[in-house]
Amino acid sequence: MSSIDSRRTGRRQILKGAGALATAGVIGMPAIVKGQSGAIKIGVPTILSGRVAVLGQTSVGGLKVVFDKVNETGGINGRKIELVVRDSKGAPQEAAKVTRDLINNDGCQIIIDAEASSGAFAVQEVIREIGVLCIHSNSETSSLTADPKLHVPTAFRTARQGIHDAIGGGDYAAKIAKAKGLKKWATCSPDYAYGRSNTAEFMEYAKHFDGNIQVVEESWPKLFQPDYTEVVTKVLNAKADAMYSALWGGDLVAFIDQANLYGLFDKQASFMVNLGDYGVVDQVKQFPQGVYSGGRYNRTVPPTKENEEWYQNYVKTQKHKPTNWSWENDVAAQMVVEALKKTNGDTNGKKLAEVIKGMTIKTQFGVGGSVTMRAEDNTLVNYIIGYGVSLSKEPYIADFQTSPWEPIYELEKQWKKKQGYAS
Amino acid sequence: MDLDALMRCVGTTSCIVTQLTSGMIIGMLLFLIASGVTLIFGVLNVINFAHGSLYMIGAYAAWTFYQLTGSYFISALGAAVAVGMLGVLFERFLMSKVYGSNVLMQLLVCYAVVLISDDLIKIIWGPVSLSMGMPVEFRLPPLRFFGGVVPPFYIFMIVAAMAIGLLLWLVIARTRFGNIVRAAAVNGPMVSALGIRVNLYYAAVFGIGSALAGAAGALAAPVRSLTPGMGFSILIESFIVTVIGGMGSIVGAFVASIIIGLTRSFGSIGFPLFVDGVMFLIMALVLIFKPSGLFGRPHNK
Amino acid sequence: MTGRWRDLALAGAGLVILLLVPLFGAPPAIRDFIMFGMAYGLLAMSLNLLIGYSGLVSFGHAMFFASGAYAFGLAMQSGKFSIPAAFALAIVFTAVLALIVGAICVRLNEIYFAFLTLAFQMLFYNVILGWVSFTGGDQGLMGGIPRPKFLGIDLADRTQLYVFCSVAFIICIAILRQLVTSPFGYTLRLIRDNQERAAFLGVNVPLVKLTCFVISACVAGVGGILLTLFVSGAYPNFGFWTTSGEAIFMILLGGSNVFLGPLVGTVILRLLNDITVTYTSHTELVLGIVILILVLGLRKGPLDLIAERLENRRQAAAQAVRDAADAGAADTRKGGS
Repeated sequence: MSSIDSRRTGRRQILKGAGALATAGVIGMPAIVKGQSGAIKIGVPTILSGRVAVLGQTSVGGLKVVFDKVNETGGINGRKIELVVRDSKGAPQEAAKVTRDLINNDGCQIIIDAEASSGAFAVQEVIREIGVLCIHSNSETSSLTADPKLHVPTAFRTARQGIHDAIGGGDYAAKIAKAKGLKKWATCSPDYAYGRSNTAEFMEYAKHFDGNIQVVEESWPKLFQPDYTEVVTKVLNAKADAMYSALWGGDLVAFIDQANLYGLFDKQASFMVNLGDYGVVDQVKQFPQGVYSGGRYNRTVPPTKENEEWYQNYVKTQKHKPTNWSWENDVAAQMVVEALKKTNGDTNGKKLAEVIKGMTIKTQFGVGGSVTMRAEDNTLVNYIIGYGVSLSKEPYIADFQTSPWEPIYELEKQWKKKQGYAS
Repeated sequence: MDLDALMRCVGTTSCIVTQLTSGMIIGMLLFLIASGVTLIFGVLNVINFAHGSLYMIGAYAAWTFYQLTGSYFISALGAAVAVGMLGVLFERFLMSKVYGSNVLMQLLVCYAVVLISDDLIKIIWGPVSLSMGMPVEFRLPPLRFFGGVVPPFYIFMIVAAMAIGLLLWLVIARTRFGNIVRAAAVNGPMVSALGIRVNLYYAAVFGIGSALAGAAGALAAPVRSLTPGMGFSILIESFIVTVIGGMGSIVGAFVASIIIGLTRSFGSIGFPLFVDGVMFLIMALVLIFKPSGLFGRPHNK
Repeated sequence: MTGRWRDLALAGAGLVILLLVPLFGAPPAIRDFIMFGMAYGLLAMSLNLLIGYSGLVSFGHAMFFASGAYAFGLAMQSGKFSIPAAFALAIVFTAVLALIVGAICVRLNEIYFAFLTLAFQMLFYNVILGWVSFTGGDQGLMGGIPRPKFLGIDLADRTQLYVFCSVAFIICIAILRQLVTSPFGYTLRLIRDNQERAAFLGVNVPLVKLTCFVISACVAGVGGILLTLFVSGAYPNFGFWTTSGEAIFMILLGGSNVFLGPLVGTVILRLLNDITVTYTSHTELVLGIVILILVLGLRKGPLDLIAERLENRRQAAAQAVRDAADAGAADTRKGGS
């Protein structure tokens, strides 16, 4: 083929390509749905595929139990609430894209961001630009709301916050350490932002409450690492009195199974903040004595009738057990409903943000039956934090001790100063 | 970097024994998977990017068989056979359609299978991670050698993986089946011209490679958590092993698996934050200085 | 030379069409779709310069996507650079990185080249993950990418950002087009089809491959910059091997032998993605089945198929004309049908 010839076909190919491009763009674009005056649409970017699909599943479950009930009883001023859930597959840039689409394309007026941490930071930037109401319901990374540089007026968080768990957990660990003489500590946490900051903060407050504690070994397995043998043996070689781990989900189950083979838990006390969840604690087949687990969600914490009813209803309607993410999203949904009632169904981001700031709602997930959206930094406080002893069968946790919030507030203030988040 | 810690470890027998065995544990499971990848590549000249999914299916199958029968050995065997048969179907109905076409077409078919199997696993077994738990036979206190600690199940795992590897090597090197397979690897059309139905042998090789992945999944099931997508990370590691050992070499896969296992176990003490980086570095160095791998024959085209 | 001018005119027309989109009140979602598509489109188009035109199957191309994104994002977050300066810096950084990696990789052939590029990509990825104090580790570049005004252009405004991305995109595509139709482009294809022959004809094969590798990396880097501007952040998975894989699928879904094939593939994959996430929570299952149908049904990119059909028809027509000339006017109709 001569060069002139090929150039001619080349041009034709370009034209064809451009044509195909344009056609695909016009035909294939999902229909643009204008916000119907009827339903109030709430967009939920979350993870529904891959290893953490359970996060999306149980988050959506938590939202559904609230919104279904509202819709059954007539909605907000007669308007139904419609959930639009999208899979970001765990990629932050997809989370940003999906959130923009939910607002711009699907006409969602409110976002409940059920992403994991890195996705939540990406969503935060979208909200900064568009200004709708957003509630981050899963990200526990402290800086998301604590760092004033990241602050967005219409973005809130109903998830636990790392620093709260660390202070409450450090206090509990120090009491046990004093009683049992646990001085040498090892840590074993996943090597990413959450695992690192969570572990550093926990050990900092454990040391704060008990000066005898020292960390003799740190191990950082990768997130989703299939085999923990090398870190188990590393912790074993350290011959510590106690161990702290921020591993979670299937990773934690695998770690416990593998550590059991080495009898690791017979040799030391172990504190695992994320062990309490259903899907984790009920997956572990063998439990030695002296494994302490943080409170995530448990049907017996608090041991009230409301909580048991909520659990029963959740399992009945969603066909799976709730997790920590379920209650966090339950609270997010309740706050949205309360706010909409106050604005008479007005979904303007600023107006909703005004009423949610400082809002207190009644719920069994709060200490004394209520939680508050702290006005100062748009994050949830007064939810139940605590530790207990793990059991391998129902109720999976015993001797649960709820952390008091007063010392948490106090130490959190100092922590913020130290981080340069507050003056 | 904490090379002091590494020196301290190398200075005590207990630490050496413990880390050596943990390196072997990681390495031998990897070997089972990588030997399947390398076998399939050596004979069919196809890179099976879906091998991690076969490993995952093996683990889930073992879990289900264990729930049904309560016997770990039957479950492991059943999982290997089931995945082997699945591998044959995969080869006959999908992979064989893209032999001879672009490597990228094969990649695409495998990718589609990875996506489909991940989602099917989620639909059938749910998104929550599952755990088989240690079979009763192996619920024994760990053994001690020279102050080091070794769990009995891991001894079983290492021995089983080595035995399977040895058996595989014998079959390929010493039997009539192996002769034909090796001949087909060098020149398929010629073997076909001798009146041997090469396609059957191709399917069989794919099946054996898949069964190895299934067996690896079954061996991993008692200690690793079962989640959709669990084959993902193991796939990339098994590629590293295959490349380092030499594409197509089973002995190479064995040696490279041990290298990677030991890099992990001692690396977690000496340079914990860069273990993955070092594995890729080794792979890059091998490719730069000996592209055909440590034990591979130079591969022309 | 006329072909060249026509290509440029077409590029200009493409730009005009792209720019008309916001003017005619297209909803923001369509603009977003196009911007996202342009970023990934550049990744796929530049990778096809390697795969389709030079026969260099790289599994590590996303490394340069990420290097462009991170270099640009970090430069902007440092507050010391204007947007054009950061843009240039990111491209220079990507070029240097590609020069080093390419110099080592281009010596290897086929699958070994693929695996070595994969290894370098994963090394780069691990550096991003591990160097938390500089790159933010797995959290990526948080807190948004600042966009100070330059030359009266304000990229914080979505319409202006769209125009900026469109211009950058069209310039890159035009450069790629000029490249593949130039003598250099023919040299690339010569190497792809027969490396020994090219060397025999006096072509410095490694040097040509390396040049191609660096140019391709720079275009991918621009794609990364566009994505960083779009999401206002950069994340490690920009440089993960799955992103490279995605780019390969885009090429295959479109067709590697037609210049704009990868771009069509990008649109197809993005549409597939957007539609599946909108209508089902089983995105993986649907995507997997569609890929299988495409691959096993068509065996090549749809655009390649169309181009081939048209080429066949053209040749058949030409043949018919010749037949007709031979057999006389009476048989023309029969031969042409």
